[in-house]
Amino acid sequence: MIHHRDSFLTNVARQLGRSRNTNVKPERNWQFRPQDKTLTDKTPNELLAVLRDQCQLIHTELIETTGEKLAGVLESTVNLYGGGPISIWQDARFEEFGLGGLINSTWPEQKVEVNEWNAARGRKNIADAERANIGITFSDMTLAESGTVVLFSSSGKGRSVSLLPRSYIAIIPKSTIVPRMTQAAQEISRRVQAGETIPSCINFVTGPSNSADIEMNLVVGVHGPVKAAYIVVEDR
Amino acid sequence: MAMKIGEGKFKENVNKNMEDTFMRGAVASAQERLRTRRLDAAEELGNWEEWRSHGEEIRQHVLNNLDYYLHELAENLQKRGGHVFFAATADEATGYIREVVNAKGGKKVLKAKSMVTEEIGLNQVLEEEGCTVIETDLGEYILQLDEHDPPSHIVAPALHKNKEQIRDVFSEKLEYKMTSKPEELALHARETLRQEFLTADIGITGCNFAIAESGSVGLVTNEGNAGLVSDLPKTQVVVMGMERIVPTFEEFEVLVGLLTRSAVGQKLTSYITALSGPREEGDVDGPEEFHLVIVDNGRSSILGTEFQSVLQCIRCAACINVCPVYRHIGGHSYNSIYPGPIGAVLTPLLGGYDDFKDLPYASTLCAACTDACPVKIPLHELLHKHRQVIVEREGRAPISEKLAMKAFGLGAASNPMYAAGSKMAAAMMKPFTKNDRISNGPGPLKAWTEIREFPAPNKERFRDWFKEYEKGGGNQ
Amino acid sequence: MSNVKVTLFITCIVDMFQADVGKATVEVLERLGCDIEFPMGQVCCGQPAYNSGYVEESKDAMKKMIATFENAEVVVTPSGSCATMFKEYQHIFHDDPVWRPRAEKLAAKTYELTEFIVNVLKVENVGARLKGVATYHPSCHMTRLLGVKDAPMTLLKNVEGLRFEPLPNAHNCCGFGGTFSVKMGNISEQMVDEKVDSAEQTKADFLIGADGGCLMNIGGRMERRGKPIRVMHIAEVLNSR
Repeated sequence: MIHHRDSFLTNVARQLGRSRNTNVKPERNWQFRPQDKTLTDKTPNELLAVLRDQCQLIHTELIETTGEKLAGVLESTVNLYGGGPISIWQDARFEEFGLGGLINSTWPEQKVEVNEWNAARGRKNIADAERANIGITFSDMTLAESGTVVLFSSSGKGRSVSLLPRSYIAIIPKSTIVPRMTQAAQEISRRVQAGETIPSCINFVTGPSNSADIEMNLVVGVHGPVKAAYIVVEDR
Repeated sequence: MAMKIGEGKFKENVNKNMEDTFMRGAVASAQERLRTRRLDAAEELGNWEEWRSHGEEIRQHVLNNLDYYLHELAENLQKRGGHVFFAATADEATGYIREVVNAKGGKKVLKAKSMVTEEIGLNQVLEEEGCTVIETDLGEYILQLDEHDPPSHIVAPALHKNKEQIRDVFSEKLEYKMTSKPEELALHARETLRQEFLTADIGITGCNFAIAESGSVGLVTNEGNAGLVSDLPKTQVVVMGMERIVPTFEEFEVLVGLLTRSAVGQKLTSYITALSGPREEGDVDGPEEFHLVIVDNGRSSILGTEFQSVLQCIRCAACINVCPVYRHIGGHSYNSIYPGPIGAVLTPLLGGYDDFKDLPYASTLCAACTDACPVKIPLHELLHKHRQVIVEREGRAPISEKLAMKAFGLGAASNPMYAAGSKMAAAMMKPFTKNDRISNGPGPLKAWTEIREFPAPNKERFRDWFKEYEKGGGNQ
Repeated sequence: MSNVKVTLFITCIVDMFQADVGKATVEVLERLGCDIEFPMGQVCCGQPAYNSGYVEESKDAMKKMIATFENAEVVVTPSGSCATMFKEYQHIFHDDPVWRPRAEKLAAKTYELTEFIVNVLKVENVGARLKGVATYHPSCHMTRLLGVKDAPMTLLKNVEGLRFEPLPNAHNCCGFGGTFSVKMGNISEQMVDEKVDSAEQTKADFLIGADGGCLMNIGGRMERRGKPIRVMHIAEVLNSR
């Protein structure tokens, strides 16, 4: 439902001194486009270096590894952060990146509770995520400049996994690293213009949550995770 | 709480607030930190001026095509299953939200920090309906616990409070027993609010920028509270000032970057969330019902006027963080939830000159605000425009000042009068002069000499000296 | 060397209260080979009334100034704020077909003193000597509106015997702001006090500035509080031998 649109927008147009425009797309002829030349000349390795430096500023541990070692690195990172319960996305990439054994055998054998997001279980997923010590997701796009992981939500990929647990681990396939938010915005906009339905929630997460509301002192860990780690894995 | 806060007159507030040494120290050190961070963030980006110009052209383009983009936004959000309400006034906005809340039988309302909901006085309306309204931004939460103390800064609302005061508030209201360490206070707030998040009926957020092409709403926080407010309750209401919109994700990205760098010196804040309507079929979290309320409340009357550029504002507070007047008087002096230079321009436009005609004079026109603005709003020029309107269109200037300025106009423009006046000055000031100084001046000089010495006019003016000097052949 | 003909816009503050600054300006420029002309028809640039919102009341003064200076080769003034005002005329008369072109012509040839010396005369060392420790207050209109940021320090660094200490929070306004200094006296007092305290922290002998209004404000407060720092206009420093 849309309420009161016509009277509202007719008034806006009148104030602007013209009649209302509902169908002629305004031309966007920007004179400036600084984003086109910001970090766009960097190689993948240089972008990884940018990401590495940025992680120092956002209180986020960056671990670099290979496909073969990923399972071991994830296991030890989880241990370092205090173990389970763990919440993860329902995401084929866990299998693709060789983490099936860790999730389906190793952790259960070690009595580490792992809850995979499953729409069929409804709000139980949220309760699990709330109880979780660690939430783990893949990054759909990774912004080197700001140290940001972009998360596209869907029925198997709950928003809560990156928000509710005490710690958050993002697995970053190296191929997802782009210079900055510009490239993510262009990709999302391309999908919109191609008529695709974009996820109802896209989260850009940059390290753990924080606040400086008390005497401007930075406190890391407020409503969202208190700790965050990124594991970058070679995938090309 | 609506836009207007407090009852005192501007000058009384100033006198009172300038006594608050903690507040002034806190503001000064916050200004210094935030200014440095902003400058570092700008320098790190390199071509900051180009980014500002791009930000400016985007905002101008949006304002000039606002009807189109709001139409497109509503269409696209409707396609995603969202409801859109266009509210001409604060009452229309709060009335609609009240209906939504009642229709859902909502009792517990969670909010993420939003200036426009303060402006329309939403909390009060919902509380009168019997709702429990809980602010989740740490700063706002502190203020709410402290008997609704008003915000004094648009990004750091509790800037004027120290940690001991916050501990006392927590002890009294939350049975808090720990120390005044910020970490312990924040942890306690996290634990208390986490339970509220899980049991809330309605989530209400503001909107940093809506994105027309996809019907999306963008939320920017560091704490992650807007993410939670939009994640857990079954019904979400987003309230946006009608000018806070961009055409596509590409412009969204540019403005978010300008906002986070200018507000807190970060490349991006910890959480930026783009929501496109309610949850999709099969989703578990996210709202089942999504309402967007687009608020005019006086904004449209600024469109098409000499003040239109104030609507470019992205609420980063960079102007507040450099303002030497705000530095000494603090946010509460302005009687408005919008303080500092942006507040001194915007508040009289939204709230009228009756209550706010002093604000445009609370500036030396030093232009630090204009320099800091990431979307190039000529703030000091708009402050000056207000003065011109107050004098010329509204005729609200004091009569004594009008006469003095009239005399100035005649005196300054006429050579004989200027020459005679300036020549006589030394003689006229003689009775008040001691050691070439005036410590207790008459008439208009009194206000000056209450604070500082005033130099006695030269017995020989520069022009008299030059005449003689030239006659003597200058330096030859 | 053929002499540059400079038409001096002295400003009403210097004319009436700081004649020594005017004399120093003349002497520095003459030493650098300029011929100085001083039109006696000059009055006030109109800024006090203009900034208070009395735009119409200030226009006669502006027109008088345009008419007085429009035939000059270059206009030089020892004030960043007043130079800014000359450049502002073209915007104030934006819709006036007669006065706008005349104002534009004036704006194009108006220079603040240090900007003129460094950028037009291409001189960075005027051969001045002054012994002691100094700090510099960059005035707001000069740095932010006129855009003259580096010229004063370029010249001051080359003054023999002068050592510089940076002024804490130099970017903050001193609290002058024309009529603000009396209209909002209590706020202005706090602002100028912070400026005075900052200057004191540097332990400087001199506080140097390039705008008479700011210096009158800071200097007047320093005297009232009995501070031993000497407030000097940059023209006086550059004229020190």
